[in-house]
Amino acid sequence: MSEQVLPAVAAPPKRRVAIPPGVALAMLWLLAMVTIAVLADVIRPYGITAMDLRSRLQPPVGFGGGWLHPLGTDELGRDVFSRLIESIRMSLMIAFGATIIAAVFGTTMGFLAAHFRGWVEQAVLMLIDFQASMPFLILALSVLAFFGNSLPLFICLMGLYGWERHARISRGLAIAANAQGYAAAVRQLGAKPLRIYLKHVLPNIASTLIVAATLSFPEVVLLESGLSFLGLGVQPPMTSLGNMVGYGREYITRAPWIMLSPCVVIILTTLSVSILGDWLRDRLDPTLT
Amino acid sequence: MLRFVALRVGRALLTIALVVTFAFVVLRLSGDPALMIMSPDAPPEALAAFRQAWGLDEPIWLQYLKYFTAILQGELGQSFRDGRPAIQLVAERIPATLQLTLPALALKVGLGIPAGIYAALHRNSAIDRAVMTFAVAGFTVPSFVLGLLLVLVFAVQLGWLPSGGQESWRSVILPVISMGLGGAGILARFTRSAMLEVLGQPYIRTASAKGVPWHQVVRLHALPNAAIPTVTIVGFMVGTLMAGAVVVESVFSWPGVGRLMVVAVSNRDLAVVQCILLLVSATMVTSNLIVDLLYGVLDPRLRGTAPAGGGH
Amino acid sequence: MSLLSLEGVSRVYATRRGLFGKPVPVRAVDHVSFSVVPGRTLGIVGESGCGKSTTGRVALGIERPSEGRVTFEGATMPMPGTPEWRRMRARLQLVHQDPLGAMDRRLTVAAQVAEPLEIHGIGDKAERTDRVAALLRDVGLRADLAARHPHELSGGQRQRAVLARALATDPALLVADEPVSALDVSIQAQVINMLTDLQEARGIAMLFISHDLKVVRQVSHEVAVMYLGRIVEQGDPEAIFADPLHPYSRALVSAIPVPGPRRIERIVLSGDPPNPADRPSGCAFHPRCPLAVSACRAEVPELKAAADGRQVACHLVEAA
Repeated sequence: MSEQVLPAVAAPPKRRVAIPPGVALAMLWLLAMVTIAVLADVIRPYGITAMDLRSRLQPPVGFGGGWLHPLGTDELGRDVFSRLIESIRMSLMIAFGATIIAAVFGTTMGFLAAHFRGWVEQAVLMLIDFQASMPFLILALSVLAFFGNSLPLFICLMGLYGWERHARISRGLAIAANAQGYAAAVRQLGAKPLRIYLKHVLPNIASTLIVAATLSFPEVVLLESGLSFLGLGVQPPMTSLGNMVGYGREYITRAPWIMLSPCVVIILTTLSVSILGDWLRDRLDPTLT
Repeated sequence: MLRFVALRVGRALLTIALVVTFAFVVLRLSGDPALMIMSPDAPPEALAAFRQAWGLDEPIWLQYLKYFTAILQGELGQSFRDGRPAIQLVAERIPATLQLTLPALALKVGLGIPAGIYAALHRNSAIDRAVMTFAVAGFTVPSFVLGLLLVLVFAVQLGWLPSGGQESWRSVILPVISMGLGGAGILARFTRSAMLEVLGQPYIRTASAKGVPWHQVVRLHALPNAAIPTVTIVGFMVGTLMAGAVVVESVFSWPGVGRLMVVAVSNRDLAVVQCILLLVSATMVTSNLIVDLLYGVLDPRLRGTAPAGGGH
Repeated sequence: MSLLSLEGVSRVYATRRGLFGKPVPVRAVDHVSFSVVPGRTLGIVGESGCGKSTTGRVALGIERPSEGRVTFEGATMPMPGTPEWRRMRARLQLVHQDPLGAMDRRLTVAAQVAEPLEIHGIGDKAERTDRVAALLRDVGLRADLAARHPHELSGGQRQRAVLARALATDPALLVADEPVSALDVSIQAQVINMLTDLQEARGIAMLFISHDLKVVRQVSHEVAVMYLGRIVEQGDPEAIFADPLHPYSRALVSAIPVPGPRRIERIVLSGDPPNPADRPSGCAFHPRCPLAVSACRAEVPELKAAADGRQVACHLVEAA
């Protein structure tokens, strides 16, 4: 057989990644939040329902309180710091769960629409339009009214937020992939459709989907906090960030710290994810606005 | 042109029909509608009458039809807390909500769009950076947090403004700011990027190179083209306004439709929930329709049908 | 015994003129019949838009013929997408113009060459690795290139990789649709030689589709010239190139760049290139044919056997 006569083509060198300071801070914060969420039971000084009636409404350290309760206590003497830790875990867990559900559901629907075309695609597009045309909060409230509230139901409901974004993206990219190139070539090799989507299309569009997920993650956090604040989300005795704000609201005059610490955490967390998402988007897929 | 309008209106009606269907399906899935719409301790005769009126013993497609016609006739059930028709309850709260949402929309548009345009025209200046920071705050600080912080500062600490209720003109200020400021930030950012994209287009450079004064280039070429995507976002904001109303009215104990929704959901007062859901969707659909039609007016490319001969 | 045979195959697309026009049928392929025999190559030549790529796709079974029949190894070609069709892919494969587009940029060359083996369940992991190495050797790719990604290879290397993948399941038929058109001329010669060597070694039948006459001449044992969806001349390549009978073949052959003084006078066709949506009546070539007579406008010429065993579709050529 003929020998290879062409000169070898060197593989392109890998580029080093430069991370701007803002993004680095955002990553640190998020890492801290995730660590807190994972290690909540270990680092929490008190139980979230442990009441210390002698230390009710203690201000945080530096404002008159002591290190026993570094972020103060609420009206029942419960340690704000511990409740905050637990709330972070709850809110993050719900947000992660919901984002993953939305991504999986949305991507599957998008693939189904791209693969089958025809009326399946029209049905999916109509669902997407329907979802995009209503403010999700109102839809969520209606479902909560009709079905009542339990944590699994709530997470699934949050999981319906933003699926249409993933569906739109995956449908568009799958159609493009099918029309030309590798997907058609692999189909021509005799591969079953499932193999084509899972092994070829999905890895190639994964980066775009991840960026879309970083866009919906903070929005889910805000949505969940809003609903919990209204008393319609996470129910006591479980606590979440919005929940805490809701409780703290009644003591806004006497003990504003109950409300302030979860507010700050909400703001910083959504800010961090947004900064991270923007940066990821710039690096991975500048075409996604 | 007529075809364009007819198509859009048709799609709008279809969406409303979808929402009604959604309500119907969810209602059926969640249990016995009679027990839900009326209260659990309504007398058996009332329940039986309701079932008959709503045809709950009939085949499902017939029920759907009856449900649909009932909705069209405005028969949305009664609040079981109140005994009054749901429509009435909702209708009397609409003015209060409008007192907040309309100024908030004005704030979003009046502050956001000019800020975005200014930022785009003075790119990378201090103002631009300020606008962008303000915009980021817009979508990371939820409206209820903003509202509570404002209450903390202005009502609790400074005592200048009331913290809730609907007593005086001063009561409107904090709720409107809470609702509008975040959206103003988002709109500013969006307008800025729309303007930047338009300003980067070759025809802008051409106009400027032809000697047209810059402010005219902006006024006649850049702004109208940037208006198109901006109009869509403003239309979309009508939807977020209602979501915002729900939360802000609860923060400030404002007696509007939003607050009613929250109370109804906690009490599972389904007639009221259903009514508000349909009201919101009708509003959204109408605003989307207006945006679509405005789109057709603003963007001449969308107005005509495809020319003969296979052109695109 | 023919491996692949097309009998009276047509492929008609329905398109619309503009958004609201009447549907207009476009005959991309019109009553084409030919056979491909094991170990031999049939070349299909013609200008862009003559339907040769569509013919290739119908031959492979990627598209269904609107009329006629496609038979492979004695059985009718199954519908695309069905399990039988998928299984059959191990027996016939396609190589086409754009090797970069045909490969997944995220996977290594080795993974992609091995993919058909995985899909059709051939061999275990160790056997597959060996087989991939053997295939890469056969197409002349160095072993260290196997771990590279497609965009890290040159055009010629990519096409060889695609070829290796196509040969992985040891197919009986290879359809090559403009396989070297995107390559530099010097690389073209190498790839062509490799194809002919592989054919000899493995006894593969080939359907070689190209607009480049020089290349087709080198590879083919039989050539078919297509114009606007029909075969206008078919036969031995040397005979056709030395003495083309159909007026269109004459024009094509005369246009081949030759060093030194020309043997055949260059024929420049008049008129516009053909539009498949708007076929001329009778012989599709008659508006541009320098020899057209009234019969050419009226009647569609059929392929008839000419003197030396060729088939020609022209009213003016004497039948044998």
